[in-house]
Amino acid sequence: MATRLTSCGELAAYRKTVAAKRDPNRTCVTVCGGTGCRACQGLDVAAAFRQAFQEHALEGKVDLRVTGCLGFCEHGPVVTLRPKGLIYVKVTAADAKEIVEKTLLKGEEMERLFIKDPQTKKRLRTREEIPFYKHQMPVIFGANFDLDPQSIDDYLYVGGYTALVKALTTMTPELVIDEVTKSGLRGRGGAGFPTGTKWASCRKVESNGKYIVCNADEGDPGAYANRSLMEGNPHSVLEGMIIASYAIGAHEGFIYVRAEYPLAVELLAKAIEDARALGLLGKNILGTGHSFDLEINRGGGAFVCGESTALMASIEGRAGEPRAKHIHMVERGLWDRPTVLNNVETWSNIPLIVNRGSQWFTAIGTGDVSKTPWGGSKGTKIFSLVGKVNNTGLVEVPMGATLRQIIYDIGGGIKGGKKFKGVQTGGPSGGILGVQHLDLPIDYDQLVEVGSMMGSGGMIVMDEDTCMVDFARYFLAFLEDESCGKCTPCREGVVQMRQLLEQIGAGKATMAHLDLLQDLAEVVRDASLCQLGVTAPNPVLTTLAYFREEYEAHIRNGKCPAGVCKALVSYLIDAEKCNGCTMCARNCPSGAIEGDKKQPHKIVLEKCSKCGICYEVCKFHAVARN
Amino acid sequence: MKEQTDGEIRIGFYVCHCGRNIAAMVDCPDVAAYVGTLANVAVSRDYKYMCSDPGQQIIQKDIKELWLNRVVVASCSPLLHEHTFRAAVEAGGLNPFFFHMVNIREHDSWVHTDREEATDKAKALARAAIERVAHHRALEVKKVPIHPDVLVVGAGIAGIHAALTLANAGKKVHLVEREPSIGGHMAKFDKTFPTLDCAACILTPKMSNVGSHPNITLMTHSQVESISGYVGNFKVKVRRKARYVDEEKCTGCLQCIERCPVQHKAYPYPAEAHENGEHHGLPAEPELEPKVKTIVDRALDLHHPVEAPLAEVLQGVLVDRRSPVRDAVRAPLIAVLQDINHELGYLPEPTLRYVSRRVKVPLIAVYHVATFYKAFSLQPRGKHVIRVCLGTACHVRGAQQVLEAIKGKLHIEPGQTSKDRKFTLETVNCLGTCALAPVVTIDAKYSGNMTAPKVNQALKPYQ
Repeated sequence: MATRLTSCGELAAYRKTVAAKRDPNRTCVTVCGGTGCRACQGLDVAAAFRQAFQEHALEGKVDLRVTGCLGFCEHGPVVTLRPKGLIYVKVTAADAKEIVEKTLLKGEEMERLFIKDPQTKKRLRTREEIPFYKHQMPVIFGANFDLDPQSIDDYLYVGGYTALVKALTTMTPELVIDEVTKSGLRGRGGAGFPTGTKWASCRKVESNGKYIVCNADEGDPGAYANRSLMEGNPHSVLEGMIIASYAIGAHEGFIYVRAEYPLAVELLAKAIEDARALGLLGKNILGTGHSFDLEINRGGGAFVCGESTALMASIEGRAGEPRAKHIHMVERGLWDRPTVLNNVETWSNIPLIVNRGSQWFTAIGTGDVSKTPWGGSKGTKIFSLVGKVNNTGLVEVPMGATLRQIIYDIGGGIKGGKKFKGVQTGGPSGGILGVQHLDLPIDYDQLVEVGSMMGSGGMIVMDEDTCMVDFARYFLAFLEDESCGKCTPCREGVVQMRQLLEQIGAGKATMAHLDLLQDLAEVVRDASLCQLGVTAPNPVLTTLAYFREEYEAHIRNGKCPAGVCKALVSYLIDAEKCNGCTMCARNCPSGAIEGDKKQPHKIVLEKCSKCGICYEVCKFHAVARN
Repeated sequence: MKEQTDGEIRIGFYVCHCGRNIAAMVDCPDVAAYVGTLANVAVSRDYKYMCSDPGQQIIQKDIKELWLNRVVVASCSPLLHEHTFRAAVEAGGLNPFFFHMVNIREHDSWVHTDREEATDKAKALARAAIERVAHHRALEVKKVPIHPDVLVVGAGIAGIHAALTLANAGKKVHLVEREPSIGGHMAKFDKTFPTLDCAACILTPKMSNVGSHPNITLMTHSQVESISGYVGNFKVKVRRKARYVDEEKCTGCLQCIERCPVQHKAYPYPAEAHENGEHHGLPAEPELEPKVKTIVDRALDLHHPVEAPLAEVLQGVLVDRRSPVRDAVRAPLIAVLQDINHELGYLPEPTLRYVSRRVKVPLIAVYHVATFYKAFSLQPRGKHVIRVCLGTACHVRGAQQVLEAIKGKLHIEPGQTSKDRKFTLETVNCLGTCALAPVVTIDAKYSGNMTAPKVNQALKPYQ
């Protein structure tokens, strides 16, 4: 590692020496080291490659790079080969050796490791050919392909920290804020508040200290885009924050990372260390006179700490209880001082906007932000597309892309050839949209108009096997658990809604319950103290609006059309189809299945907990569900 | 008063129809006839409304003319008419306590649907009463002088309120409280449930009243030693503990406390660090096992706010984080607890006290944080922590079934630890590996695409 750089000129020179050591045409194997691929033994794959390189004396001739998340999570571990840009999926450690021998040494492409198009059955080789990648606009996320998150040199090589230099040396703080405002960038954490406006308000406030905070709590179940950004490109977050610190006049920053992301904490810490060592953080950055440094705070496992006032309480060492925002964070936030809090993805957008300019940004997305940033949704958004789609993973699309494009073109359609039923956006604070919304252009305002919200970008796709009543109940149970308890509408109302939904799911409700549920939902929405409570009813309100027939089926007919609600389904073994393989009995957690080997089995209904495991594991379709 | 003189018991028995209330279900004439056959019964009648004037007069007439010395009425509840008939009997010249009443309405007619059964029961009840009344003795109603003062033990909200009610009604009240101050638990609460009223706002006016009420003698820092005597005439010994403070002169300015060189560990004031190292309101220094102390000290030193890396790097630029409203001194609390929780698997109570002293945060605030965040456990955990993700993506892909399978295998519920202390099962609301749903982690190892049948396999290496 080099010694501390004390001027922008020195940084430029350092950058040159890094570039001089690199050959863009040299073969490079990248192995995805994001948490998803790690869980599939991705690091073993990387180790196997190293081993194979050694055996074939390729060290120094071929590069191996372990990157952050590449987004194609359904098909990990993902390996890419440069410069050709080949993409191999579901690679095992055993495959690594073969890849080295066949592809690297002989130039043979291994068909079996390419992803197969589900329709044409053709093998797809590169990002340009694979629909999942082809239809994306990965201006932010794409960088992950080129970066070893632990290498600041990699980041510098792809142009990292040039935005910082540009801001510090050619722009005044006001100009920086102006560019960000003109770009129309809105907070990627969910509420979509115009970032430039936030910064401008903070800059105006007189104070003996200001703070910059990164919200990396990402509590929404189903969303992990922030995690992958931190694990894949931590420096982009740092660069954004340093630029902001210059713009609003702050010297201290905090990155609040949830406890469940230990890898992100580790990689961010390394990035901070490396940036400090080079002089990009600390006193008198690159000799410009501006000082700024960061520290990492870990969350304690509370969803509510994603809310800005609760997050700051947590940094202060208190329980994460929100407060009313009559006075905004930008005036009195952390330790009562002006604080700018932005989401991880928002921070990553900043270097791009500074470098490429606000006009480049406004060319992407919807609406017109020439008069006010509220007029549209600009730039791209990273969504975590999960649930019942063929290609689960992280996708980056321009604002305004439709659900159909995301779910079908990129996501590859519904898994198992089943029917699309609905998609949930915005986490537990969002709503559930149905078939009628497939052509909805996704942006902040359109989503709010139909009763949902962008949230942190979680997009959970559901098929005919998902029960909307159960789904709404699930979210309310989640929010009930995470509610801080301070205000009555949320603390009491969410519980009551959850109980009503349970009664509906148990077949014990009447139509009057639906009216009560609607009423209650509206009260909780109107009277809660913080956004957790205000948005808690969204799953209820949207499912009542768009899936009312399903509620009525539960109530009027005592049936759960999706076969999920336990009280309304029962499982039965068809003695004629059962061949006594004992698979179901062995997996039954309640010990409710009787039967000797090779004899038809029977479910003892009194013991049956309706978990449905037997239905899932029986290979002979002998278990019927009604 | 006519008393039985020659040993013969002469009972007058009356069964009331109570309109249709009893007669609808009980055959009253039949009951009267039956009772008439029992020993000692001088007369047995049934009548429509015994409680009416004519009904009462029948009793009085029979007492005089038939020399009755006992009376039994089978009718409604004694709560309703016992005093009516006692008065009637007394007016007839017989001691009112020679009367007994039997309830064949609420206990019989109103709870039966079968006439025969109802009548049988009425007969049985009457028979028992006839047996019993022979043993009644003539009683006198007397007035006894009592001591009207009241002693109330305990001056929490209940005792305070009771004392005020009695004192306002004119009674002299002695209110005894063990603690040096009154108010009890309510004085320690911020809000009441469910109205979220301010507890102190409700309590303190009453406390003040108690102190100044002319009818209340308040004895604090006192304890009841012994009680003897009986209702209306108790003798109570109260130990008044030494205070060394003249209660008449004390104004509650608290200066003495601040000067006192001996720390009072129960004093509930919030902590502010003092220059001389004396801290009020913090728990006493606990004894920690050396191994545990090392872990806790390391965590504290790592996250000490003043020596934070930012301060080092930004010397001269960094601003003191203390603001007039929020103290920055407790900022590292969560990080410290996280490290301790990580090393020990949970947060033992003595470590919380230790941290409270070192970080200078009241113990209650430490507990607030320790119980608010799910990452912390106050109970020891098992050797291996299994986390089942119940996030939305996992839920949609069958996480519930995986959880059921694990529950079935280990016989524990989420939040519990197996009996052999090997496993603790927890649920988590999202691990951020949604593409691999359903996801289970065992310690730091992630297992994606988990299904119920694969659970056994996953648990095997740890068993």
